[in-house]
Amino acid sequence: MKNVSVKERLKDKDIQALALYIGTIAILIILSVVCKLLGKNFLTVGNIQNIINQSAVIAVIAIGQSIVILTGGIDLSVSSVVGFVGILGGLLIKGGMPIPLVCILLMIVGLALGIFNGVFVSYGKVPAFIVTLGSMQIIRGLTMVLNSGKPISGFPQGLRTITNAKLLGMPVSIIYLFLLYAIMITVMKKTRLGRWIYAIGGNANAAKLAGVRTKKIELYAYAIGGLFAAIGGIFLLSRLAYADPNAGMGYELDAIAAVVIGGIALSGGKGNIGNTLIGALILGMLKCGLQIMNVPVYYQTIIIGVTIIAAVFLDKAKERKAE
Amino acid sequence: MNDYILEMKNISKSFFGIKVLENAQLQVKPGEVHVLLGENGAGKSTLIKILSSAYKKEAGQIFVNGVEVDFKSPKEAIDNGVSVIYQEFNLNPHMAVYENIYLGKEHLRKGLINKKESIIESEKYMKLIGLNVSPTTLVSKLSVAEKQMVEIAKAITTDVKVLVLDEPTAAITDKETEKLFDIIRSLKAKGVGIIYISHRMSELVEIGDRCTIMRDGAFVSTVELKETSVDELTRLMVGRNVSFEKIENKFIDKDQVALRVENLSFKKLLKNINFEINKGEIFGLAGLVGAGRTELAKCIIGEYKTVGATIKIRDHLLKGNSVPETIKNKMVYLSEDRKDEGLITIHSVKENIALPNLLKFKKILLNDKKMINTTKEYINKLRIRTSSPLAEVKTLSGGNQQKVVIAKWLCLNADVYIFDEPTRGIDVGARDEIYAIMYELIKNGASIIMISSDLVEVMKMCDRVAVMKEGQFVTILENDEHLTQEIILTYALHGGNKNEEC
Repeated sequence: MKNVSVKERLKDKDIQALALYIGTIAILIILSVVCKLLGKNFLTVGNIQNIINQSAVIAVIAIGQSIVILTGGIDLSVSSVVGFVGILGGLLIKGGMPIPLVCILLMIVGLALGIFNGVFVSYGKVPAFIVTLGSMQIIRGLTMVLNSGKPISGFPQGLRTITNAKLLGMPVSIIYLFLLYAIMITVMKKTRLGRWIYAIGGNANAAKLAGVRTKKIELYAYAIGGLFAAIGGIFLLSRLAYADPNAGMGYELDAIAAVVIGGIALSGGKGNIGNTLIGALILGMLKCGLQIMNVPVYYQTIIIGVTIIAAVFLDKAKERKAE
Repeated sequence: MNDYILEMKNISKSFFGIKVLENAQLQVKPGEVHVLLGENGAGKSTLIKILSSAYKKEAGQIFVNGVEVDFKSPKEAIDNGVSVIYQEFNLNPHMAVYENIYLGKEHLRKGLINKKESIIESEKYMKLIGLNVSPTTLVSKLSVAEKQMVEIAKAITTDVKVLVLDEPTAAITDKETEKLFDIIRSLKAKGVGIIYISHRMSELVEIGDRCTIMRDGAFVSTVELKETSVDELTRLMVGRNVSFEKIENKFIDKDQVALRVENLSFKKLLKNINFEINKGEIFGLAGLVGAGRTELAKCIIGEYKTVGATIKIRDHLLKGNSVPETIKNKMVYLSEDRKDEGLITIHSVKENIALPNLLKFKKILLNDKKMINTTKEYINKLRIRTSSPLAEVKTLSGGNQQKVVIAKWLCLNADVYIFDEPTRGIDVGARDEIYAIMYELIKNGASIIMISSDLVEVMKMCDRVAVMKEGQFVTILENDEHLTQEIILTYALHGGNKNEEC
């Protein structure tokens, strides 16, 4: 029996992904050409590393966000988890707990916060937007309570090294980032959990009748969302070596933007988690490039907004054509 | 005055490079019921969607009353007297009847909606077609038949010239069908051209005047229904002969019980259901819509939670109330509702077939290549018409979608299959293929429960028929030479007591 040809695959699925790759390269070229004209360098190894490193926090959070969105849900509370994990971690490190142990503990906390969301969404049948809007406030409030709204600084050097140590000439955070994506791409494509998550987002009723334990799997998705938000929080805490109770504010929207630019439908069931990384990197590239060009911050915001809409607009070209 | 109120000439259309319509044509006279007949995937729906301008045509012309038209939007089509009533209604369930009737063409006074006038006006049209509910009733409170009448009322508020009814009787009772036919006849008398799509032959002959037959996206023929036999119609549609004879079941093994259900009750919907089916048996569940047949199926598979019921597959007692457990014990349910419960339409054929069978494709990680090969196997075996194993299921026609549902459960190699309305909305040719698959299953030792509202099909396929009424088994009938459709109907309507008024 002959295998499905590359052409067949392209025809059915990956036109959108192709558009994303071309778009990414186009943005990369435009940014580097414009920077060159302004007499500045954009496309340097150091700069690329810098972009990836700076995008890492959003990119990691966006992994969890992708999975939640693939089930057809949304998680607004990730930003508060980032803040909470920062302050809690800061207190524990100051209290003398070994840093690796703190990291593990923080991941468990993230998982627990995700489970909190998941229980209300899947078993409680409360819309995800509402549950996570509420928990976003609750967790941010707890963060403030935890250290009376004050930031924490003056950490031991070891905190920075967990993401800033160099390996193969680049910060380990970049290696972690790619590793986490590799793992989750495999989970989503090659394990039952992954296929079940897609199935729930595609049609929860049909998934249930096909024997998928939909409630449990949905709960898992939010747990994973919380876990990756916590990892993002650890990245941020380590990079800045500074715990701010306001840290992470607005990150939920950046993460959602990365997911959407990457082509995952907000209605769930469709999309590729690997492209979320590209979505996050596009955002990072734009921010960095525009900074190098000295574009004022206000204009940067406008350009990023336009990019989000343009990405989804192009994504829908196929559907418009079908009509 | 023109001969035809609607003419569609040489219409062509393709999706993703696949031609779905090629030189299709349709000529409807004023005051006639024109039946559009064809198998699923023959292009009927596409033709209608081009008429209503939900799709854009690639080639061809459309004339209404002799004037060429090119509608830019469904609204423009409606404003010009072309209305389509789809199987899935376009009503807002959270709005009142009168609001739905005048949605998009509200009565205004000084820029605000004139509620009083809207209600009075809509009441006029509702009376005309015999819809006896208050105009302020919420649409969600109405029955399917009543919703359909709201759609018709909506259509006739504009000066409707061409009205398309897509499978209008698929979900309504016989009594309601009679009422619908009365409405159709009165519209006919007013000179409206009615295009009628249905798969129920008996109905077509009763209501239709002329019939256009389509096959594979092309025009086959237009015939006078009075002069054409059902066999001839079927032959034109399918391109070969089909039979409705009961086929003898040689595979039934009366010594082996495949499934036993005892003391099954569910809320107020099901009362004390007991039955068993043998290996190799096709067990029919007949009854009216709302008799509790689908609910029974869902209780058996554990989707609905029951208390105190005993369900045994072979000799294995189920703990109960768990779909995964039921599937693990090789009993599966094929929903009547393909789009909402049977398939994930935005996913590929491969994903859909693989979903309940993932363990089959798993070592440590899932093997995509094996999934694709298995999918191809079933595409060949069941003759599923799809451009690729990776094509989204929503691009397939109804009959082919149903085959995908069957394929995913065949792949699981189950012992008991519960088919819920397996041929609803499916044309005669594809039906035969589905029946053949069912025979193949019992030949291989499986058992089948078949829920069907189509008594022809029940008589053709089932060895025994349980008739349900108001959540109870009225009787279980052997399908021998004495059984007739009338007997089954009598039990379904009166519970076997003919004197009782229904």
